[in-house]
Amino acid sequence: MNSKRIRNSVIAGIGVISVLSLSACGAAKTSSSGGKDDKVVLAEPSWVGAQANAAVVKKLMEDELDVKVEAKQMDEPVAFDALNSGKADAILEDWHGVPKKEKKYVEEKKTVVSGGDLGVVGHIGWFVPKYYADKHPDVTDLKKLNKYAKDFRTSESGDKGHFIGAAPSYSQHDKGLIKNHKLDFKHIPSGAEAAQLKEIQRLYKAKKPFLTYWWEPQWMNNQIDMVEVKLPKHTPGCETPESEAKCGYETNQLEKFMNKDFADSDTDAAKFIKNFKWTTKDQNQVAGDIAGKKMKPEDAAEKWIKANKSTWEKWLPKK
Amino acid sequence: MSETRESAPVNPVFSVRNLWKVFGPKGKANRVPGDEQLTGLSGSELTERTGCTAAVRDVSFDVRKGEVFVVMGLSGSGKSTLVRCLTRLIEPTSGQLEIDGEDVLGMDRTRLRELRRHRAAMVFQNFGLLPHRSVTDNVAYGLEIQGIGKRERRAKAAEMVEKVGLQGLGDRRPGQLSGGQQQRVGLARALAVDPEVLLFDEPFSALDPLIRRDMQEEVIRLHRAEGRTMVFITHDLQEALRLGDRIALMRAGEIVQLGTPEEIVARPADDYVRDFVRDVPRDQVISVRRAMRPAGKADAAGGPALAPDTLVSDAIEAVARSGESCRVVEGGRTIGVVDHDRLLKVVAGIDQDGEGEADKDKEVAAV
Amino acid sequence: MSTPTIPDKGEQRTQDAAALDKTPSGAGPDDGPGPLQRLAANPRALLVLVSLLVVVVSAAVTGSGAWPRGWTLDIETPLNDLDNWLVDNRETSPIFLYFLLHISNFAETSVDAITGLLESMGWLGVTLVGTLIAWAAGGADLSRRALRTGGTALGVFIVCGVLEMWEATMETLALMTAAVFASALLGALLGLAAGLSDRCERLLRPVFDTMQVMPAFAYLLPLLLMFGIGVPSALIATVIYAAPPMARLTSLGLRSADPAALEASTSLGSTPWQRLRTARVPLARRQMMLGLNQAIMMCLSMVVLASLIGSEGLGDEIYQALGSLDIGTALTAGTAVVLIAVLLDRTTSAAGERLDAVATAGTTRLMRRVRAGVWGLVLVLFGVFAAKGSVFSESEWPEAWTVDITRQLDSAVGWFTDHLGSGVPVLGGTVTWAQGFTEYMLNPLRSGLLATPWWALALLVAVVGWIVGTWRAAATGLVCLALVGVMGLWEVSMDTLSQVIGGLLLTVVVGFAFGVLAARVERVDRLLRPVLDTMQTMPQFVYLIPVIALVGLSRSAGIIAAVIYAAPAVIRITAQGLRYVDAAAMEASLSLGATGKQQLLQVQLPLARKSLLVGVNQGVVLVLSMVVIAGLIGGGALGYDVVQGLSKGNLSQGLPAGIAIVCLGIMLDRLTQPASARRRDQ
Repeated sequence: MNSKRIRNSVIAGIGVISVLSLSACGAAKTSSSGGKDDKVVLAEPSWVGAQANAAVVKKLMEDELDVKVEAKQMDEPVAFDALNSGKADAILEDWHGVPKKEKKYVEEKKTVVSGGDLGVVGHIGWFVPKYYADKHPDVTDLKKLNKYAKDFRTSESGDKGHFIGAAPSYSQHDKGLIKNHKLDFKHIPSGAEAAQLKEIQRLYKAKKPFLTYWWEPQWMNNQIDMVEVKLPKHTPGCETPESEAKCGYETNQLEKFMNKDFADSDTDAAKFIKNFKWTTKDQNQVAGDIAGKKMKPEDAAEKWIKANKSTWEKWLPKK
Repeated sequence: MSETRESAPVNPVFSVRNLWKVFGPKGKANRVPGDEQLTGLSGSELTERTGCTAAVRDVSFDVRKGEVFVVMGLSGSGKSTLVRCLTRLIEPTSGQLEIDGEDVLGMDRTRLRELRRHRAAMVFQNFGLLPHRSVTDNVAYGLEIQGIGKRERRAKAAEMVEKVGLQGLGDRRPGQLSGGQQQRVGLARALAVDPEVLLFDEPFSALDPLIRRDMQEEVIRLHRAEGRTMVFITHDLQEALRLGDRIALMRAGEIVQLGTPEEIVARPADDYVRDFVRDVPRDQVISVRRAMRPAGKADAAGGPALAPDTLVSDAIEAVARSGESCRVVEGGRTIGVVDHDRLLKVVAGIDQDGEGEADKDKEVAAV
Repeated sequence: MSTPTIPDKGEQRTQDAAALDKTPSGAGPDDGPGPLQRLAANPRALLVLVSLLVVVVSAAVTGSGAWPRGWTLDIETPLNDLDNWLVDNRETSPIFLYFLLHISNFAETSVDAITGLLESMGWLGVTLVGTLIAWAAGGADLSRRALRTGGTALGVFIVCGVLEMWEATMETLALMTAAVFASALLGALLGLAAGLSDRCERLLRPVFDTMQVMPAFAYLLPLLLMFGIGVPSALIATVIYAAPPMARLTSLGLRSADPAALEASTSLGSTPWQRLRTARVPLARRQMMLGLNQAIMMCLSMVVLASLIGSEGLGDEIYQALGSLDIGTALTAGTAVVLIAVLLDRTTSAAGERLDAVATAGTTRLMRRVRAGVWGLVLVLFGVFAAKGSVFSESEWPEAWTVDITRQLDSAVGWFTDHLGSGVPVLGGTVTWAQGFTEYMLNPLRSGLLATPWWALALLVAVVGWIVGTWRAAATGLVCLALVGVMGLWEVSMDTLSQVIGGLLLTVVVGFAFGVLAARVERVDRLLRPVLDTMQTMPQFVYLIPVIALVGLSRSAGIIAAVIYAAPAVIRITAQGLRYVDAAAMEASLSLGATGKQQLLQVQLPLARKSLLVGVNQGVVLVLSMVVIAGLIGGGALGYDVVQGLSKGNLSQGLPAGIAIVCLGIMLDRLTQPASARRRDQ
């Protein structure tokens, strides 16, 4: 009966309180700088190469420039949002995996600016393990691939060959390639990079044949030998739309991106990040130490820093 | 029932007239009491026709000041609903209801709350104690609701705890008490607010027989000591006869008979009641006033004298001892005589049959 | 949690049988009619049989049964528009300026504040105060409960420190504190509304259902768009996930409060507010405490997942480690998560027990004073450490006192998976078994579902829904199915459905087997209990990679992960159901000379049918909640779509897939939840 009144007043109270407490204090700050203050926040995608970049940059900036650095783990799409809002200051390794966002923030809103090339060259392609290619040398020819499809069958792919697809956040148009080249393969995606790596590690260990989306730089290349299947040459825009894609992947100059305000701030930190540039070999060395030898990122970075003073000295802003 | 109304004192505590409580969809239920076609139906017919259940049907009675008014009936007879209607814990569907001449049904929330806080307090079958509070705090609960300060209410509560015989248990939790003790807490809680009327809803039916007897005695003691008006709901005839000054016997929502325990046992209104009271040891309920035959002139002198309220069982003892008939004396005047024959008839339950009944009716009405 | 009650269905069935066909005469179950006869006498079973037949025949005849293309709606465009609008207006729209950004800033500031506080208290302060709080929650005396709770807390802090997880643990703890506080508050308020008002209850119930079945991944994305990356989104996602159990239990507590006590309160003239404050809420306290406990557990599992959108702490630690296949580190961080779960669970349940004990037994004045003193001490220490913690200790656990066991763990797991994966003599190993499972179970199931015409499937859903539940359940199932079709996700959803069914079967088999074992053998029960606790609290990420090593990147891997996650609940419910079978019936059968097996088959299992059904239902919900996680390791289908939607920031891909999962979830839930379980007394 009269508990209705309680109920009504409870509901009304909740409503009023929440609305008041939220709106009474006026408009909120749009770019929250919650707790970051003088810290530089690096967006660090989830692969080891990115970890290596971040570890070395963090170590150097903290030791040489006395700037506090925080590496926050986020994948490219999230990183671009963060760069836009100022929650992250820079991403050190972008594979151009989110062209839509890149266009929106860099070209349209101009809240994110390029920080120059990383120096590392990214390459994506289709690979088979060397032990298999040695036995069947013409497997690297895309046109002959169907001949071997039955070797690649698994319970997942049924009567077709199993193509190990990339993790969801990676640039890919393999489904289109398989369809347009009439390959007798089924594209089976990996849900995460870690899953794909583990699967490849497992198959490699068992010396089973497999065909996979693969890339360089990649720390596991220190442990396994892979041979590339030749895909048609990439021409700009040839991979869109995916349903008509027939070409391979572009060789990618991995790029740094920065938050506009940070880039314009002209601080030592911003200058350092703009200067930061190293080679695939350098990165693989650090990444290999982290992933292959299970060293802590900061230890691996320290090891590299000790050995390569001449390289990183150039990154320090001139006094 | 007309007789009770005639004999009602001028200022009853509760005055109930034509009270209905019909459960069911609101629109439909409200229409039932006024609809002549529906009021005549039996419970199951009504349910079939309208989907409503009449828990209380056209009930009228008065509760007199200082009496123990017992409402008795089997489960489902509507007695618990009825007592809840008195303080509108259940909202009656129609009828009039007054407390000390004041209309209860017309009270607004605040007035009603005042009524519940100060004038009528209830003791429940399942105790309804708050398990997270100590005994004292449970007893003080009603006072707390009234907004009385902590110190004052605790003092009052401690007094009540003592009154119901729970000395030294004030810091216990209800979970640590036996059923009987818990109900004592419930009783103390009701007493603590010093109400005009105490309402009992089958308070002892969850208790063991022995403890139940203790508790009944406790109630009788309290009633004797304070003379508080009580409305007592029970399904136990023994309990009703023990406690009640008057008993209303309910069946299927209606009062089938209302009278003193003696009236009900001696003169059941219908077969249902007769069936109900069949196993009652009649000699322990019926008084010699009912068993006697009017005194002739010859009876004025002989035999031991008995008061009219003497129970038949006691009269049997007296008659057996003296070996002859006894006189029933009221105010120094012999009003009747009981002998073996008369008393045996009462015990055998054949006194109510036959010719004498009509006369007795008049007699009783005149008393 | 409440276990719904299922009234006797037999009665209902006979009534219906009598109503539906007029020949109930010879159908008494004891006369021993043939199974066919009995079937014929039971129209419901017949109906199921017929619709099954329709499904099989139509599948065989038509061979493909996708949802008609013309009946799909384009939801991609509006979602893309919404996505764009959100990005464009995040800094200008009043909704953001006056509402959402406040929430997000507030969330961020409060978590930062807590992190800062923990940091400034230093490891010594945190350990000391944490242990004291746990001890005080357990009763602050020398009883076993208090000492055990305090000891557990101390142990957990030390182990987390020793394992070099101190910083991550503190970050997780900070996010947890904020999330638990927010979800408890929101849950209690919603629960209050639902508990007091039937209309609110009706309104909120489906919302709670959805919140719990909806894979977190699906709403991480919109949250990300609204609140930006990092703490705010993580916090809000956590609250969305963890508030429902608190609300549900609060509502349940309020509703099941002793009616006599409430009536007594009314009869003494209490106002509604007085009644709520003095009777209703205190009477619901026990349930609310349970709700808090549940909310904490759910917060913990979510806080780990939130590392995907940039929150820090143990989840991040795990996720990072997985990138380099560093199982050792992931396992260490996972252990820390389990330990925090143990800490919080023990502390809250000890506090709950103590409340109960005080409620039933009262307390002495001396103890009250001691307790007040201890809490005072906690406050003082808290203040001292917060202000001057750096004087006493570093903010982080001293490095000299740490042990690195990641390497050993890594090789142990590696050895284990290698040998189990393919090294089992004769039997082959898990890889082979998984292939068999995929080929003989999943593939036929999937092609069967894909071959079934949509209308035949709809018929089956309707019939089963109606028979198991009510027409309402049937209607809900149909609507869900139709929604999946309209969104154009029919085929992917059937793929997912086939995996869920496969996973469910496996879960139920494993669950019942272990459940029966645990119910009958005390020692098994004791051994299983910590294992089950760990299985439920260990972040799923940790065991995903070893699972791949065991069975390869395939749907089986996803299913195994789902079984690991879902089986504990089923095992528990089964064991409990069997154990609490009416003791009189058990005794009676024993006195008739029944053997253990007879007892199990003829008494325990039939009597425990109710809990077994509840177990199946729980299994469905839990297996389904793992669909997305399975998408991470080769499950494909809807789970992959959600993951890809999230990682590509593509709302139009992630959200519909998430909704489809919810649809499947609600449909399966309704089909496995007997009607009477949901029916509430009026």
